[in-house]
Amino acid sequence: MKRLWKRGILAAILALFGGAFAFSPGNVECIAPANPGGGWDFTCRTGGKLLYDLGIVPRPVKVTNMPGGGGGVAFAHVVTQRKGDANLLVAASPATTLRLAQGKYGNFTADDVRWLAAIGADFGVIAVRADAPWKTLDDLIADLRKDPTKIAIGGGSAVGGQDHMKVLLLAKAAGIDPGALKYVPFDGGGEALTSMLGGFVQVFPGDASETIGQMQAGKIRILAVLSEKRLGGDFADIPTARELGYDAIWAVWRGFYMPPGVPDDAYAFWVEAMKKLEASPEWAKIRDESGLGPFFKGGADFEAFVKKQVADFKELSRALGLIK
Amino acid sequence: MDVLAQLAHGFEVALAPLNLFLAFAGAFLGTLIGALPGIGPVNGVAILIPIAYALKLPPESALILLAGVYYGAEYGGRISSILLNVPGDAGAVITTLDGYPMAQKGKAGEALALSALSSFIGGTLAVIGLTLFAPYLAEWAIRFGPAEYFALMVFAFTTLASLAGKNPVKALIASVFGLMLATVGIDPGSGVPRFTFGELKLYDGVDFLVVAIGLFAISEVLTLMEHSFLGTATRVKVETALVSLKTFMGSLWTILRSSLIGFFIGVLPGAGASIASAVAYTTEKRLVDREGSFGSGDPRGVAAPEAANNAASGGAMVPMLTLGVPGSGTTAVLLGALMMFNVTPGPLIFEQRPEIVWGLIASMYIGNVMLLVLNLPLVGWFARILTVPRWFLVPAIAALSFIGVYAVNNSAFDLLFMTGIGVVGYLMRKAGFPLAPVILGLVLGRLMEINLRRALAISGGDYTILYASPLSKALWALAILSLFFPWIAGRLGRRR
Amino acid sequence: MERGRRTDRIAGALLLLVSAGYGLEAWRLQADFLADPLGPRAFPLLLAASLAVFSLYLLVRPDPDPAWPPPHVLRGQLGMLASFVVYSYALAPLGFLLATTLEMAWLSRLFGASWRTGLLGGLGLAAALYAIFVFGLGIPLPLGRWWPA
Repeated sequence: MKRLWKRGILAAILALFGGAFAFSPGNVECIAPANPGGGWDFTCRTGGKLLYDLGIVPRPVKVTNMPGGGGGVAFAHVVTQRKGDANLLVAASPATTLRLAQGKYGNFTADDVRWLAAIGADFGVIAVRADAPWKTLDDLIADLRKDPTKIAIGGGSAVGGQDHMKVLLLAKAAGIDPGALKYVPFDGGGEALTSMLGGFVQVFPGDASETIGQMQAGKIRILAVLSEKRLGGDFADIPTARELGYDAIWAVWRGFYMPPGVPDDAYAFWVEAMKKLEASPEWAKIRDESGLGPFFKGGADFEAFVKKQVADFKELSRALGLIK
Repeated sequence: MDVLAQLAHGFEVALAPLNLFLAFAGAFLGTLIGALPGIGPVNGVAILIPIAYALKLPPESALILLAGVYYGAEYGGRISSILLNVPGDAGAVITTLDGYPMAQKGKAGEALALSALSSFIGGTLAVIGLTLFAPYLAEWAIRFGPAEYFALMVFAFTTLASLAGKNPVKALIASVFGLMLATVGIDPGSGVPRFTFGELKLYDGVDFLVVAIGLFAISEVLTLMEHSFLGTATRVKVETALVSLKTFMGSLWTILRSSLIGFFIGVLPGAGASIASAVAYTTEKRLVDREGSFGSGDPRGVAAPEAANNAASGGAMVPMLTLGVPGSGTTAVLLGALMMFNVTPGPLIFEQRPEIVWGLIASMYIGNVMLLVLNLPLVGWFARILTVPRWFLVPAIAALSFIGVYAVNNSAFDLLFMTGIGVVGYLMRKAGFPLAPVILGLVLGRLMEINLRRALAISGGDYTILYASPLSKALWALAILSLFFPWIAGRLGRRR
Repeated sequence: MERGRRTDRIAGALLLLVSAGYGLEAWRLQADFLADPLGPRAFPLLLAASLAVFSLYLLVRPDPDPAWPPPHVLRGQLGMLASFVVYSYALAPLGFLLATTLEMAWLSRLFGASWRTGLLGGLGLAAALYAIFVFGLGIPLPLGRWWPA
């Protein structure tokens, strides 16, 4: 009771003195729905740190790792037990929307939470060994068209996961039967990449950030990036798949959602906070250093983007025979 | 020698006062983190990354701090394994098998000291291997494809026969139980959830540490209660004496062999400290355990897994640095940290950022010495934990187990699952089923199945891929040799 | 002799049931999309079959029974297990400090300490662990959802 009363006064003061938002953050928590070491953990730890460094939140953001179910455990926890908690952010990515689309979060859907913003993105790439016979994406597609069973594609995710979806999308864009592709799932991009270096698989549909080291060393060749526009830095010379006539885009966006029932003033505050974070030079620095590219969508934009992505993924997964 | 000149330069970096202090701080924190059950090197490194970043440390200093936590945690994990039968982290699970019985026999000091020495030797040998052979080792690691991993897992399984105990069928049942647990979760080859019963928590599979802590710690608490109620509890004598030269020399070959096994397994991106310690233990039991004393407090049973898990964490640095590929969960976090400091790991890192690579390698030499110096004097202190009165000690073991798991996973389900596994473990112990095979089945099962299926996916169902390469042929030969080892050894023994 | 080998017989029968249940569940698995010729069922079915064989062996050739704990020990063990379940659920709402103190006190009592010493010991351990985790390592522990912040 006392807390509510205090908050009321605070809100009143803020409203009086021109504060645009009645909400002010308290002890903010960010849930990374996986163990340390992955993209979600990165999103929470760097995002949380920047929110504090930029003075957007009063105290350091508490990062909680809640692994399980490919993010499903955290999703269920947030929907059922944290309703209306305006101090809670949860890290998300296309892995979240893909699993929602494929029904891997039980009965939960994308409508169950409030989608906040995406602040950056990694992009899919199609990589082969430097000594592979394929110099361009067209070469590879031509051979895949001839006999898809001859080429083993090793990705870092399970069947139906992100790396698998990338090649399925590409095959679909090229008019190849996606079901005929030979996809071999590995535990993470690193293992898949090693397997390609060892010659056990021939193609690695990874992310730009995973492949940059081996590309610089000249051990692998990147045939195309799956982004809308060309990427910067070392990737500037590499064409996009779209340029080459294959409409396949895979943006591994990094973003957040919030629990259902978060008041609109708080939601507006957080959208604004994410805008500020995304525009900061500090974030630009970390983003570039981590191999991510700029990508921002916030608030209603992001809600619409996510809902559309889930619908697209659902249709695609169904068309590809991944779900019924 | 180019390498030596580079290393000398590395020592200059590592011996700078700030870096020396950071190596010490990392080693100390790591030991603490490792000793707390459930919280292992992965969490330790993840916790410190933002701190390192906030302190605006230069990349090599930050990496030295984080690496210190990493191998410090591998040291610390053994402490609770030996004293309380609570595995401190995944690499220290096997250490409970002989470490805890040793402590119960009053040899806690000896077990702690010997394991510290084994860790030191394993860790140092691994760094030497890393210094001299890193690029060649990377080439070797690349040659491990799915078929080779499958053959390696089959070999590891044949060493499991050494854990058979009194009733081999019960050991077999225990390992099948472990294998069954390993099949829980989303099947990567088809995307289908298996044996999850709709529980989202199980989609990623059962958590290895939750099972290990339940199996060892919770069942131990139940056993301790039984003894305490029946008045059959024996007072544990606590001798804080360090290890005798004789015991140490008796374990020396075990330590050296296990370091080698641990290092090579650590270098492989698909394996890690838990597999390394398990394989080293079962191999040693096969080779040297003539009296059948492994499992009831044999010092060599403590030395083997501890040398192996520290060697493995050194080995895991090889693919991380040379290929930019994480060899374990912890190196995955370290890799993320490197990227944040604008260092791109990969084949070029040795040329582009020598100060980072060689500074890190030099700090690993120093860190290992520090850990030994830090750990040996503390042995007596740690051993005295056993003199804590039972009414406090036993509940504290339970509370520590629960909190460690909860702090990492934030899930009541994991605690219930752990309790359930604990009950199963207690019943198994009473009925004479050995627990170690469960752990091995769980560790090896997933890799065995998935690599077999990967190999067949690549070959399109052609089974000859499984023994096509010279490397896989060698591993199969090793597996066959291991299977018939007792018979061969027996023949040789008779002839002599 | 018949009475002395019940444990393994019961275990064998239970394990046979487990293998049947596990095998059935494996049989029902259906994949819409397969990456490899073996599929998700082969390995589990193999495991179910081996477990069935091993448990039959256990039924046919059981070992002598171990000494099972008498009723008063069982009661204590059940009391402890029940408290584990309660503790698992109580951590989030009650918060770490209170839940751990109470749990420790209850367990200490089972091991013969008085409520007073149990509570004091429990509070000491909980406070020490809280300090190590939260202040030392920066790992959050639940504060309790029932209390106002």
